[in-house]
Amino acid sequence: MTPLNLTTAIFLFFTYTVGLIFVIAVALRIYQYATTPQPIKLPLTPAPLTAGGAFARILGEVVFFKSLFKSNKPTWLFGYLFHIAFFLLIFMHFLRHFIYANPLPWWYDIFVDIGIVCGVVMVLSLFLLLMRRVVVERVKFISLFSDYIILILIMLIGLAGLSLNYVISPAALTVVDNQLDPYMNGLLNFQFTNIPSNPVFLIHYTLVLLLVLYIPFSKVMHFVGIFFSPTRNMVDNPEEERYYRPNAKDLSI
Amino acid sequence: MANPKDKYKIPVLDGKIPIPKIVPGASAYEHMNEAQKVDMEALGFPFKLKDGWKEKAIGVFKEILDNNKAVRDYMDICVRCGACTDKCHFFLGTADPNNMPVQRQELMRKVYRYYFTPSGFFKSLSNSQELTEEVLKDWFTYFYQCSECRRCSLYCPYGIDTAEITMAARQIMDSIGLGQKYATEVIHKVFRTGNNIGIPPLALRNTLDDLEEEIKEESGKDVKIPMDVEGAEVLLVPPSADFFAMPHMESLKGYAKVFYKSGISYTVSSYASEAGNFGMFLGSYKNTKEINKRIWDEARRLKVKRVVIGECGHAWRAAYTYSNTMNGPFDFLDAKYRQPMHICDFTLGLVKDGVIKLDPSANDDKVVTFHDSCNVARGSRMGDFKGGQIVIPRELIKAAANKFVELREGTTKESTYCCGAGGGLLTEEVMNLRLAGAMPRMQTVKEAVDNHGVNFYALICAICKTQFSKIFPLHGFEEEMVGGIHQLVSNAIIM
Repeated sequence: MTPLNLTTAIFLFFTYTVGLIFVIAVALRIYQYATTPQPIKLPLTPAPLTAGGAFARILGEVVFFKSLFKSNKPTWLFGYLFHIAFFLLIFMHFLRHFIYANPLPWWYDIFVDIGIVCGVVMVLSLFLLLMRRVVVERVKFISLFSDYIILILIMLIGLAGLSLNYVISPAALTVVDNQLDPYMNGLLNFQFTNIPSNPVFLIHYTLVLLLVLYIPFSKVMHFVGIFFSPTRNMVDNPEEERYYRPNAKDLSI
Repeated sequence: MANPKDKYKIPVLDGKIPIPKIVPGASAYEHMNEAQKVDMEALGFPFKLKDGWKEKAIGVFKEILDNNKAVRDYMDICVRCGACTDKCHFFLGTADPNNMPVQRQELMRKVYRYYFTPSGFFKSLSNSQELTEEVLKDWFTYFYQCSECRRCSLYCPYGIDTAEITMAARQIMDSIGLGQKYATEVIHKVFRTGNNIGIPPLALRNTLDDLEEEIKEESGKDVKIPMDVEGAEVLLVPPSADFFAMPHMESLKGYAKVFYKSGISYTVSSYASEAGNFGMFLGSYKNTKEINKRIWDEARRLKVKRVVIGECGHAWRAAYTYSNTMNGPFDFLDAKYRQPMHICDFTLGLVKDGVIKLDPSANDDKVVTFHDSCNVARGSRMGDFKGGQIVIPRELIKAAANKFVELREGTTKESTYCCGAGGGLLTEEVMNLRLAGAMPRMQTVKEAVDNHGVNFYALICAICKTQFSKIFPLHGFEEEMVGGIHQLVSNAIIM
């Protein structure tokens, strides 16, 4: 086993710290949303009359962004493209690690091509979302510093990821690939190896760490909050079934 | 006397609802009158800001966050996508950016960030803001330019409901002594007299006698409107405007005729002479519950079997959604019926069962259109199927009148525009705001009048009726165009 270099030590430290903060902070948020009582029924009607219907309504929002589709088509399109590409990319990053083996499966090249398409779509849709914030007067007015930051951060992550395929040489990429797999395994089973030293890769990796650290404290928490939104997840049956939360205070409706 | 048209800023009607260019501060001058001492104290609130108000306000804010999942969730998850920015009738009417739902919420969210999130540490970057008197002034202005109609929530990808945030903000303001005169005064009247208008029992009996006489003159029948009768089958709770205001009274006549023809015994109550619940406008659970409780206490005392609610929007939401939670269970009532039931649901059921008969040709002089009241369409249900609150009033109109047209698509049903005066805004001092808020709806009215010759604007909300009776003439439409669904029923019912 080769001795670990300083870079690896630093990245190991930050990876675990960020990972821990992310898991704890998100878990706390979920706990907070789940345990805060909702004093009264609040479904936005017409609303489903059954729990199954309410669940389907939430799924419609999560999977198809139905309400956004109703309100603004361009925002829906750009936002939907971004989210689809983003999730496919996360999924493929995990998948890639677990299927990585020599010899490579026959479909590996197609897999990489799909990944690159997703990366390009993600960066382009982010650019369009950013342009929206600059060009549309109302959206510009409501945009905060953090709204730009998150778009730019994810865009940079995408650009750095794409650069691994196009800026550095194929040979350098192979080196990264060969070092990354044991490094990732090491993170999981504590058999640490050196992190790939390619600077483009390290930029990509650092930006991802920043994003993961930022998520629990940012608006990205909407991915958790949507499931707890009373106007969407509640069943419209106040007359049929008495809704009463004794732990809710007589305070605000 | 000055022409009222000179006094008000009346929007031009051309049938279009454009998205305006934003004009910061455009409606900053529209203020509510502040609450009076007697009213605030009667409601259990302090009067005027006192030392330590800031700490108190933040304390109440914290309590709301800890006890209201909606507010807790909605403070965090807005991504400022902008989907709501062109959906609020007050923004469309005033062009003031603080009337874009997301920006209205931001007034509260920036205070939330300051006190309750780590990002409050990076003040300038995270747009966080200490609660100052200046901020409070903005709150008092703009949280009283929201009619709690929930249209923004419909279009929000996360369902963020500005009405909830408005209610929380008003609750915080009330708890430190900054209240709105109109709503607090009205609630105080309910506690004293049982209704929003402040009608004592004897006066109420007198006006019911007058109405009975009117019906007798019109139809020749001895239609009674009983009051405080023990053992009646139904307790009818209309909004108190139905007793005194026009065109509301025409609907009350309609209810009376329906009960008369169906032979179902009923009574109104002088103690629970109000369906409306302004506690909701304060966002105060305690006051909403107290007002709501009067209905169920009275149902118990009068030993009725069921409760029917008259034509009123927020009243129906309060009765339908909150009653069972706040003052249930209703095991002392007949479990066969929905408790409470909406009068439209009640009447349509009788029509369908053939108990009463309507002759729609009696309304052949009318081309009717229907305005979905916001709190009915987006905050309640009628009947036992999803969307009953949309379908049932329309079916009843069609049973009572032959000519019915819909308003412009995308502005009806759950997408309906608010009348511009809900949520405690039905008060003189903000007349220009009410005109601006009614603008989108009035554009579609103008279109319906021009294209379809609509001459009757059917409503099921006391606030809508009052608002449009005032607004229609300012736009050159007849005040008589505005009326209730039971006004049509009243004309059409075969006696």
